Amino acid sequence: MDLQTEVLIIGGGATGAGISRDLALRGIPSLLVEKDDFTSGASGRNQGLLHSGARYAVTDPEAARECITENRILRRIAPHCIEDTGGLFVSLPEDGHEYRANFIRACGVAGIDTEPLSAREALSMEPKLSPLMIGAVQVPDGAIDPFTLVVENARDAESRGARFLLHTEVTGLIREGLRISGARVKDRITGEEFTIAASQVINATGAWANEILSLAGLSIGIALSKGSMLITNTRLSERVINRCRPPASGDIIVPNDTVSILGTTSLRAEDLENHAVTPEEVSFLVDELSRMIPAIKGERFTRAYAGVRPLVQTAQAGDDREISRGFALIDHQSRDGLEGLITITGGKLITYRLMAEKTADFICARMGLHVPCLTHLQPLPGAGRGHTFQDRLLRLRHQIPAFRRELLCDCELVPREAVDAILREGKVRELQDILHRTRLAKGTCQGGFCVYRLLGVLNERRKEEGLGGSNRILKGFLEERWKGIRPVLWGTSLKEEELIESIYKGLFNLTPEEAATADGGHP
Amino acid sequence: MTQADQIPPPPRHLPDLCVRCATCMAVCPVSRVTPLFPGPKQAGPGAQRFRLASQDSVDDWIELCSACRLCDTVCPAGVPISELNLLAKAKYLDERGGTLRDWLLVRIDLFGELFSRFSAIVNPLMKKRAVRWLLDKMLKIDRRRNLPAFDSPTFRQWFRDRPVVTNAAGRPRIAYFYGCFTNTNEVDVGKAAVACLEAYGYSVSVPPQRCCGIPRLGVGDLRGARKMGRRNLSLLLPTVREGTDIVFSSTSCGLMFRHEYGPLLDLPGAEELATHLFDICWFLLNRHEEGQSAVRFRTLTAKAAYFAPCHLRSLNSGLPALDLLRFVPGLDIRMIEAECCGLGGLYGFKKEKYAIAEEIGKDLAKEVARMKPEVILTDCEGCRMQIRHLTGIKVLHPLQLLRDVLP
Amino acid sequence: MKRWDLIVIGTGLAGLTAARTAVEMGAKVLVIGRGMGSLTLFGNTIDVLGEIPPGADMATGVADWIAVHPDHPYARMGWSGISEALNAFRELFPSPYTFDSVGRGNSLVPTGAGTMRPTYLLPITMTAGAGMSAADTLIIGLRGFKDFQGDTVSLDLQCRGVNLSLPRYGLEGLTALALARLMDEGPFRESLGEAIRRQMAGEKRIGLPAVLGLKAPADVLKTLETITGAKVFEIPMLPPSIPGTRIFHRFREFLIAKGATFLLGNPVIGADVKEGRCEGITLQNPPLLTVYRAERYILATGRFLGGGIQADRERISEPLFHLPVLQPESRGEWFRERFFQPEAHPIHRAGIVTDAELRPVDAGGRVILKNVRAAGSILAHHQMIEEHSHEGIDIATGYLAVRRALAS
Repeated sequence: MDLQTEVLIIGGGATGAGISRDLALRGIPSLLVEKDDFTSGASGRNQGLLHSGARYAVTDPEAARECITENRILRRIAPHCIEDTGGLFVSLPEDGHEYRANFIRACGVAGIDTEPLSAREALSMEPKLSPLMIGAVQVPDGAIDPFTLVVENARDAESRGARFLLHTEVTGLIREGLRISGARVKDRITGEEFTIAASQVINATGAWANEILSLAGLSIGIALSKGSMLITNTRLSERVINRCRPPASGDIIVPNDTVSILGTTSLRAEDLENHAVTPEEVSFLVDELSRMIPAIKGERFTRAYAGVRPLVQTAQAGDDREISRGFALIDHQSRDGLEGLITITGGKLITYRLMAEKTADFICARMGLHVPCLTHLQPLPGAGRGHTFQDRLLRLRHQIPAFRRELLCDCELVPREAVDAILREGKVRELQDILHRTRLAKGTCQGGFCVYRLLGVLNERRKEEGLGGSNRILKGFLEERWKGIRPVLWGTSLKEEELIESIYKGLFNLTPEEAATADGGHP
Repeated sequence: MTQADQIPPPPRHLPDLCVRCATCMAVCPVSRVTPLFPGPKQAGPGAQRFRLASQDSVDDWIELCSACRLCDTVCPAGVPISELNLLAKAKYLDERGGTLRDWLLVRIDLFGELFSRFSAIVNPLMKKRAVRWLLDKMLKIDRRRNLPAFDSPTFRQWFRDRPVVTNAAGRPRIAYFYGCFTNTNEVDVGKAAVACLEAYGYSVSVPPQRCCGIPRLGVGDLRGARKMGRRNLSLLLPTVREGTDIVFSSTSCGLMFRHEYGPLLDLPGAEELATHLFDICWFLLNRHEEGQSAVRFRTLTAKAAYFAPCHLRSLNSGLPALDLLRFVPGLDIRMIEAECCGLGGLYGFKKEKYAIAEEIGKDLAKEVARMKPEVILTDCEGCRMQIRHLTGIKVLHPLQLLRDVLP
Repeated sequence: MKRWDLIVIGTGLAGLTAARTAVEMGAKVLVIGRGMGSLTLFGNTIDVLGEIPPGADMATGVADWIAVHPDHPYARMGWSGISEALNAFRELFPSPYTFDSVGRGNSLVPTGAGTMRPTYLLPITMTAGAGMSAADTLIIGLRGFKDFQGDTVSLDLQCRGVNLSLPRYGLEGLTALALARLMDEGPFRESLGEAIRRQMAGEKRIGLPAVLGLKAPADVLKTLETITGAKVFEIPMLPPSIPGTRIFHRFREFLIAKGATFLLGNPVIGADVKEGRCEGITLQNPPLLTVYRAERYILATGRFLGGGIQADRERISEPLFHLPVLQPESRGEWFRERFFQPEAHPIHRAGIVTDAELRPVDAGGRVILKNVRAAGSILAHHQMIEEHSHEGIDIATGYLAVRRALAS
């Protein structure tokens, strides 16, 4: 099977999916390949923060302006991916009144609405905040669900003719003289290898940019920065809580559905695929963030995770196409003399649409087309449908009495019907794909009970196809789960761990002999 | 309305304690018989993660929790599941608005006194099919459930009017909380309690008292429950402060005093009362174990079965009635191996819950059928009503049997 | 206030065994459990030492194993002590619901994940699982019952599997307890038996989720075997465990009938320690704190899940008597990098170190509290999950602790 397309997009993060949609709206055919599932890189491993830009107002006014502009656009085009929580910037005594005053002024310059609050007012809004605080500022931060955002981008693009191949890895770039004319790819589940011919190849792989470029003997200057985060068992605050000081590590708490996400650290990353959260990072986050919310010291954490941000090194990027200090669009024809390949990297989740717009503009220019961007005007599909915490609460209220049947997940109340619907769509290819698309395994027991049940549902189908060895999938899941929970095993989470280990290693006698790899849970 | 009258949000860390182990799912009597209630694991700490004080309730299944509190007694993590449920139920019912039935049922203490006075009229009336049909249709009080008959005079009147005890001087004093049901529907339990206490050498007093308020908790009326609690505390604390301990013969009243006034309702003085308030059988059993003034019961050759009410388990001071009954020579007393009678106080009277209560009770009835006792003993009036209804066998408070074998 | 001969803290199998042993010896016993204990979660069969290969003689196997594991709790009593305690356990379960080994050693029984698990004593409802083969076994799943996935079991065991619906009973969303209750009733299990029979294609054994009745498992088994003409067995599944609940109920019934006092639902939060002895313990029964006193105490509070030991971000501690806990140096060493590794996570070997009589000792080997003994999984130097020794350790140490305590 060899394929052909106009534009080949590599990378299924927010940028890639955004480009796919932008091109589709302009009528340009594209095909996107992603080696895992959507948002498997930094797009899915961040704090889910819909920046107002306030964080950068003092130190980087340009980035701040970019953020607030995109913030407003996203609220318009993707309201269903956003929980409009609002945000507070909290000043502790050591942060001082002076920075707070600068901050309010700088926000004003960047066009970000602020509302100064007294300590008492802020405490009445968020009772868990430290009583030591000297004041707070309210800003239009919010929480965003990156996975839904990306999937809706892809869904819209697909409905307009764009194509997507998940679990498909680029193994080589096809070079014809001084031109890249496509890529060799491999289906990571079936092992099938094939080629995709394209007039333009966009490397939208974020932190993996150099991995792709190395296939063409190229590299760009990006630094990899690991950011680690902690997830609480229950939601700590109604709003996003930031520290009112120059951006630093350990200063943001983002509410996310039933939980809160604490972040982040910032460490130079060595390995793109394996980045364990260290005990030191966990201790740092707990200690640092408990200054804003003291109860964090005794909080129960269900999981830790890390993402790798690609930071564009301005000096090296040194390209006239550098759009802002946040992200870089690199034309390898002008930079390296290699036609048909561009790299888009850096940036933040909130600027994904802008990055896509600039990339598509560039492609259009290359193709000699003059079609305007529409992504800032055209709402995403499903924009009328709720996905947020409040929507879920309302839906639960309506659904539960009627439905009261098989709930696969007791923690996050995920019904079997939700999984059946995903399976009916026929797009998911492995267990983790289903976990991405539901809130299974995102609750208190982190899939300890529900994944066993989910596997049973999958096995109903697997059996018909004569597949075997589902234990390997279970072990694979438990190994993946382990990465997230190992850093937070003390207190109640450690009790939970004894329960889960007693079930799977004790009661079910799953043993390490057969390595947990390969078949990732083909449904 | 003071701030204490608001429904308190449950402490946020409570659902965090839950390790999702599902032990509670092995005891919950409601989810044992119906899939309509998802069980404590989900309805309690599970759903609690979804509940925000500022949001409307998300789960109406909470109303099916019968508040037996068995889940609390088995949870290895110490999650006060039933308390979470109770608060959630209160919020849900508050949003939905109270029903006339609930309003009437929780005031049964007030009507009780009146009905008791006119018991000659009320009792036959309540057996009339037309009346039951009306109650069923209009108030959704299930017509298949026998309504308890009213006694006349009330316990309180009986106690006031009885001859003065002549040899009371110099005896240790004890106060007795009889509870509404004893007062108007099972006066004999109160008489037996007084007889037993006096046989153990006590001088018995009956302090002024009101309904403990547990029926109000059952319908999620925390404000009402607090009001009753405050009244009782002001009525009972003087007795305690003059150095007299109080005993109760109704398990649920006792549970309300000891555990709900303090930890849940946060009423001032609750702890002081709890320290001086005892289950009557526990109190008498301790007299045996201390060897003082223990009574030697007369022989009674009978085959008896004892049922441990859920709320007695929740009180968590053992099975004192069973231990006490073992002192009766000749009595073949065995424990009924069953969990929960199903009635759940007013729960089983409600039309929409009658079937659930019956189904739970079936397990107990089956066990009783296997044991074939001549008499069944249990501390709780609700359990007595339900077991009578389910088995037709004679059911007594343990003190009623003990009274008959006093020397 | 009453003074007891013995207070047992903990209602897992170790605590229950201790209480029962004491009651049999005529002691006045108080049993205190914070919750129902681990039987309701994992109790199914009696694991003694899964590392002994199936079929090998347990007596020699365990004795040889102890020789190379001299710190293990089993080294305190040897095989003779273990088997004495196991026999006492078996006596509590007279016919028809008995516990027996298949042959003289471990046997392999199927699990809810479609694996085989080594175990020693099986309840009568699980015995037939030990001899199953893929060719002669039919696995029955119940549609809508989420804690046992029949397709997973049959797929991994590579035998035939069928999911049954019994619409008349509205099985969707039923819990294990609800199913067990239905099984206890004649008509349900008869119709289930008939439904199974219609699905059979010559199989000689039928595997079902472990919900074959709470009150009358032997009757349920008999009904199903009579109707299907095959051997029927239960397969352990996700908690809660019905077979474990049966064990708990049997112990509780026995203990209460023998006059032991059973307190369930509140934690013991403090101990009154004077001159190397425990003088009393404090039960927190809000808003009350009640002190209970006894001559001797058994600490059978389990590990992290049971609350016997606990961990903060720095270290592991024993919250009640503040006993020293043998443990890895720092949190970073508690767990290994991968979940599945040949070696157990080092934290699993953490626990209380004792002398030969199970009295906790300090780093110098000196007895800390003369009248307190530790039993069950709280002890150090075992890895019960990987070894498959949980129930064996509970029974053997619970038994030994009380024999020694009452002898003193």
